[in-house]
Amino acid sequence: MASIHTERETLAYGGASAGLSSRWAVARSTLALAFRSIIVFVTVFFLATLLTFALQGLSGLSPAHLQLSESATPEAIAALEHEWGLDLPLWQQYLNWFGGIVQGDLGRSWYNGADISLLLTSRAAISLSIAGLALLIGVTLGAVLGITAAKFQTTWIDRAITTFTTFVSVLPPFVVGIGLVAIFAVWFNWFPSAGYVPLDRGGLGPWLSHIWLPSLALSMEAVADIARQLRVGLIQASRENYVTGALVRGLSSERIFWGHVLRNGSGPALTMLGMKFPNLIGGAVVTEAVFGLAGYGRFAADSASRGDVPAVQGVLVLAIVLVVAFNLLVNLLLVRLSPASARGI
Amino acid sequence: MLRGIWQLRAGKLSVLFLSVIILLAIFGPALAPYDPLVGTDHVLADPSAQHWLGTDYLGRDVLSRILAGSTISVLGSVQVAVIALFVGAIPGILSVYLGRTFEWLTLRLVDTLIALPFLVFAVAVTALLGNGIPQAMLVVGVMVSPAFYRVARAAALTISRSQYVEAAILSGASIGWIVRKHVWAKILPAIAITLANTMGTGFVVVSSLTFLGIGVQPPAPTWGGVLASDLGYLNFRPYAPLFTTVLIVLTVLAFNLLADVIRDVSGESGRALLIRREKKRGRTARQTSATIPPTPHGDPQ
Repeated sequence: MASIHTERETLAYGGASAGLSSRWAVARSTLALAFRSIIVFVTVFFLATLLTFALQGLSGLSPAHLQLSESATPEAIAALEHEWGLDLPLWQQYLNWFGGIVQGDLGRSWYNGADISLLLTSRAAISLSIAGLALLIGVTLGAVLGITAAKFQTTWIDRAITTFTTFVSVLPPFVVGIGLVAIFAVWFNWFPSAGYVPLDRGGLGPWLSHIWLPSLALSMEAVADIARQLRVGLIQASRENYVTGALVRGLSSERIFWGHVLRNGSGPALTMLGMKFPNLIGGAVVTEAVFGLAGYGRFAADSASRGDVPAVQGVLVLAIVLVVAFNLLVNLLLVRLSPASARGI
Repeated sequence: MLRGIWQLRAGKLSVLFLSVIILLAIFGPALAPYDPLVGTDHVLADPSAQHWLGTDYLGRDVLSRILAGSTISVLGSVQVAVIALFVGAIPGILSVYLGRTFEWLTLRLVDTLIALPFLVFAVAVTALLGNGIPQAMLVVGVMVSPAFYRVARAAALTISRSQYVEAAILSGASIGWIVRKHVWAKILPAIAITLANTMGTGFVVVSSLTFLGIGVQPPAPTWGGVLASDLGYLNFRPYAPLFTTVLIVLTVLAFNLLADVIRDVSGESGRALLIRREKKRGRTARQTSATIPPTPHGDPQ
């Protein structure tokens, strides 16, 4: 599988005689690229947490709204704000908060003083089960559809898949969710329409049957996007000169497809996956509501309407960390698959 | 360009459908046969001559609630797109002309906005800022603005390198004059495409938010709210969500179709259309910030 790349690289660096020095150059440029991409991700993380932190100032809320009733005196408010460290300069508050995040400490809730990391863990387990399974469905089904469409391009199979993905891509997740509930939960009564059973409580079966429909609803957008990008990427890669070259050298078309075309043509779909991951994490909010699950989306909405700023910030930070980590992973995978893609961070 | 849209069947279809929807948004509340807020004893009634779409769990006429709710649902998406246009396109154009610091800063901000999990943020921030429609529109508008930033920036980049702009600079034209005279005229088609796409996205997001009850207070009717109340009583009226979902899906489809049609006709002739189709086929997702990104909902091929 790697042969095609090494061939290209040695060609690019002037033949076999320059082998060693070219390898060093490649390693150095890869390091530089890794450094640059880390800078980008760190900046994004920093700006996103800064925006999240700014919510407190923008909303103008303070724990006094939650904990003190109408009889609150200015002294009581000041005392409470001192207790929560809100009388410190803003930059110091940010540093304290950010320092906590780095250690996994999301602070305490204004509403009941509980540790937010603890409150969030059980909720996040629900949301992440759904998002994880949705990711799995999205990648598997998307890959199957995309590869099938590309292999049978311009036949009725290709047209049917393209029509399906085009239609699915405009369906909002909550519409898909309601449709699935109406068909599979109410009409056929195959799956429960609401609720959740933790994996360690009920075992694999009940857990899966509860998160199966929400995950399917959430995954549809990813399925459509991956299938379409993969189809375009594969068709494009199959028109490259090296495919003709491999064909001339007598390689079987199956081997060319799975070894060369798939490797080179899956980059766009992977990039798309990285770009759509935030939607998967964010879309969980709506899916949870459709299926009556108490995940982090519900937690965020409830906390927000109570004015519990630190709890909301906790959810947002968790989501940001997930997105940044996942995109870093996708980028690494892209570089591994095709070194040229590292240029386009 | 406008005539071109009308000449294509898909264009005619989407424009006609969207006109109906927008008329509905303006006159819908006046057309409602019943008061959308007042319940009756006819709870969860099936469709009949009196109540064409039946009644909900409080005995309110569903058709009246959909008609009355169309204002927020449809005009909301237009507001979102307009806010996003101003928040995104202006820095996008300026990023090419205002030097490297501004460019770097706005590019990273756009990266950040794209990386944020959209709906969680929209829900949380709207609720924190006071849970009203203006807050919701503002938050969603800012969050979808990167699409406009990128389109405007890409157009401005190509134009800033073209020779007639160079000539204008040499003959002493100011940046403001060049932007007004050359840049705007060139990026208008790209902006129109993004505008149609963003209205589609904005519509989905506004529907999602109202479905969650974010941005509106409970008795106020919205399309998302009608769906949410139907969902709770699916065992009694399993067909109930059908009409609202079809309405929502058709509206999103129409916006996306319109974006596609504008893309097709924004070239001058049929030949341009063919070249564009060819280019479109060769398009990939791997894009840097300087090129036009795939929109959140993509474009049907």
